[in-house]
Amino acid sequence: MNIVPPRNAFPLAIAAVAFGFVGLFLLYPLYRVFGASFLDAKGIRFTFENYVRIASSSFYRGSIYNSLSIGVLATLVTTALATPLAFAVARLPIGGKTALVSLAVLPLVLPSFVSAYALLLLVGHAGIVTQALRSIGIPFGSIYGAPGIVLVYALTLYPYVLLPTVAGLKAVDVSVEEASQNLGASRWKSFWTVTFPLVIPSVLSGALLVFIDTLENFGVPFVLAEDKPILAVEAFKLFVGETDTNPASAGVLGVLLVSMAAIVLVIQRRYLARRRFATGAQRSPPLIGIGRGWRILATAYCWGLVLFSLVPFFAVIVIAFLEFRGPVLHAQFSLGNFAELFRRGYRPLVNTLLLSSLAALGVVLLGVPIGYAVTRFRNRLTTLLDIVTTIPFAVAGTVLGIGFILSFNSGWLVLTGGGSIMVLAYTVRKLPFGVRASSAILHQIDPSLEEASINLGVSPMLTFARLTVPLMLGGIVGSMVLTWVTVASELSSTVVLYSGPWQTLTVVMFQALEGTGAGLAAATAALLLFFTVIPVALVYRLLRRHELSLL
Amino acid sequence: MATISIDRVGRSFGAVLAVRDISLEIRDGEFFTLLGPSGCGKTTLLRMIAGFSELDAGAIRFGERRIDTLPPHRRNTGMVFQNYAIFPNLTVGDNVAYGLRARKVPARRIAERVGTVLKLVHLDGYAARWPHQLSGGQLQRVAIARALVIEPEVLLLDEPLSNLDAKLRVEMRGEIRQLQQSLGITALYVTHDQEEALAISDRIAVMHAGEIEQIDQPDGIYCRPATPFVAEFMGISNLLAGTVTRRDGARIVATVGATEFVIATSQPAPGQAVAFCLRPEALRVIAAGDTLPPGWFSLAARIARVEFLGALTRLDVELAGGTTLRVALLDPSYDALSIGRALTLAYDPQRATPFQAP
Repeated sequence: MNIVPPRNAFPLAIAAVAFGFVGLFLLYPLYRVFGASFLDAKGIRFTFENYVRIASSSFYRGSIYNSLSIGVLATLVTTALATPLAFAVARLPIGGKTALVSLAVLPLVLPSFVSAYALLLLVGHAGIVTQALRSIGIPFGSIYGAPGIVLVYALTLYPYVLLPTVAGLKAVDVSVEEASQNLGASRWKSFWTVTFPLVIPSVLSGALLVFIDTLENFGVPFVLAEDKPILAVEAFKLFVGETDTNPASAGVLGVLLVSMAAIVLVIQRRYLARRRFATGAQRSPPLIGIGRGWRILATAYCWGLVLFSLVPFFAVIVIAFLEFRGPVLHAQFSLGNFAELFRRGYRPLVNTLLLSSLAALGVVLLGVPIGYAVTRFRNRLTTLLDIVTTIPFAVAGTVLGIGFILSFNSGWLVLTGGGSIMVLAYTVRKLPFGVRASSAILHQIDPSLEEASINLGVSPMLTFARLTVPLMLGGIVGSMVLTWVTVASELSSTVVLYSGPWQTLTVVMFQALEGTGAGLAAATAALLLFFTVIPVALVYRLLRRHELSLL
Repeated sequence: MATISIDRVGRSFGAVLAVRDISLEIRDGEFFTLLGPSGCGKTTLLRMIAGFSELDAGAIRFGERRIDTLPPHRRNTGMVFQNYAIFPNLTVGDNVAYGLRARKVPARRIAERVGTVLKLVHLDGYAARWPHQLSGGQLQRVAIARALVIEPEVLLLDEPLSNLDAKLRVEMRGEIRQLQQSLGITALYVTHDQEEALAISDRIAVMHAGEIEQIDQPDGIYCRPATPFVAEFMGISNLLAGTVTRRDGARIVATVGATEFVIATSQPAPGQAVAFCLRPEALRVIAAGDTLPPGWFSLAARIARVEFLGALTRLDVELAGGTTLRVALLDPSYDALSIGRALTLAYDPQRATPFQAP
């Protein structure tokens, strides 16, 4: 619905600020990464050499192959696990459904690399389970490399498929299934020939999000890949290791990473987002009656999958309270790990809290007006704004971090070495979520309310501030908390951008993983989980309505 | 309080002309209705006056003052929305006070004026209530109070009754009309319901495909539709087309099929085609032996269909030459109405309304 009061400067002002911000802190850094990939080592001469060099290296060809094959495999496994779960949640009479759904969305907000790390503690080389099995003579294969990475992705990313598929299944009107049965198809035949084809776009659209996430994820392969090269990790290693003026090779990997994700994102937007056949069902189809045996089986599958996905997080918390002697774990309660963590100072905790809060504030301050302009004032300018603010979805954190260093290390705007560069990177990365969340909230607020306010003499800008924002408040708080939580566990751009005193909890974990501080890493992870779960639990009622499905 | 002059206003959405070159003068204190089917441009025209839809061409004035160049929040119009648009986060009192606060009226005056206007819409004592505690009809009253309290130059109502149930709709439209008359405010009302338009308007503009088909008082719109579209939109009618065979004083005689109709008009000339309408309720059944009312003419017909509608009975009758006519009868005697039966119908030639040649 368009409420364009003629010649209104308000959306123009929003667009100007938004384009300024996105231009400086997203497009310019990306341009610099792009530029770096086409310049020689000194950063002067234009060349294709870098691409040739990467392409001729079997190691980097391997990293592309690994990233893509792990991504595809993880997407297939995730979809295969999540689609039956979605079907059961939407259509089968399984036990404890409300609690199940609440728990099933948790992996979306929990840091995936913590899950990877827990897996390492349990079944890694020196893992508890590995040791125990070995001590009784059972050999245990390696979870390093592709199997472990795919497992962690499947267990942490399945809500991306689950949520849209459940929504899709519920959006199929009962009448189409009834029509099919009335024409003589059995219940199962109706489901497979009518309902299922209708939700395929929802399933695929979630699957593509999973794929994009696996491409850009830094923490999980960093923890579990061992010697296997993965694009997002190698880009970081190259960038840190490169001694030339121009980080050409890191630039090439960055461009590859962004291009691949961008292609998938375009497919997702172009072909799938618009192929939602079934919307606005008058009445959702009823639960399908199944026998007791099937019911137990379905309940076991759903609860099994959801609980299993949370096991790593429980394990981390338990392990954090056990005693480490060197790298060796002892089954004895101890606060030693936390003592060690805090002996090093409270700074990482304070940094995480401070930077996340500032970034969440930034996302709301930018995202809400942009969402408003995009939703309420439809024209070419706001359509462009909508597209531009989607770009960060396709930009791996590592690549954005590299772009930030290239852009703001010298010149008129120097930001490197401070906390502000991290806040800006986080804000850019989470901006799409802020925009989509506020635009979803706005779709539930009748535009005639704003028209009524303007008609009564309040200018569009004041109407937005005094009427629209208060009406959106619940949703804004919800999306702010979600932004906060996801920023607190951000690793991929943090690891490129942090410096000296600006270590965050994720950096402490990252460093402890590189060294031998397993106990320290576990305590940090537990602390991070605490600061993630508590805020989400507090605002869960607000979140349930819509925001989780937008992450 | 003001006249509204709409001067050659146009607006297109892409290739669709929503409003085509409309000119219209709404008098001071008049209750004026834009009537038409959905998509005819009536809401776009109203929103142009409120400032929520842009003009491609033309000008709108309140009195002498041009307002289409003003932003919507400076036009001083009071608008009542189809879905009421009551702010759910404010109490009834604060909803009504909203426009006054925007105008920086002192707090004491606000309380006074809110109290007065709530009394006017029969909601005194409701100021502290929340919108979700109110019924649809009450919300509608709040919306009207909120629009009136700012003493707007014109009151704009966009299908305000379409969300209410039938009984309440009839009650509210009476109240709106009474309120408008007692305040003497210029009101522009948009609806697709012809009965509603007829019941409350001083004048009606019937719109179709972005253009005005006819502007007239309610009885003129109903009894003397200017175009076939207006005739059909204002209720089932007999749209007939034939050829003028001769002139008979101030009347013409036209042949439709094999039946002659007499129309009280001097145009068009014999030999030319003529289109006209004859309302179903303008036809009467003449029992055998009864005389025709003076100046009326009769038709021989045969009953093809009978539809009993309660207060009304509808007949489809066939005339010589195969033309079908619809007839509406109040309180007929039923034993005479069986299918296939012959009967005599009579009509006043004044009620046969010819359309201008397109």
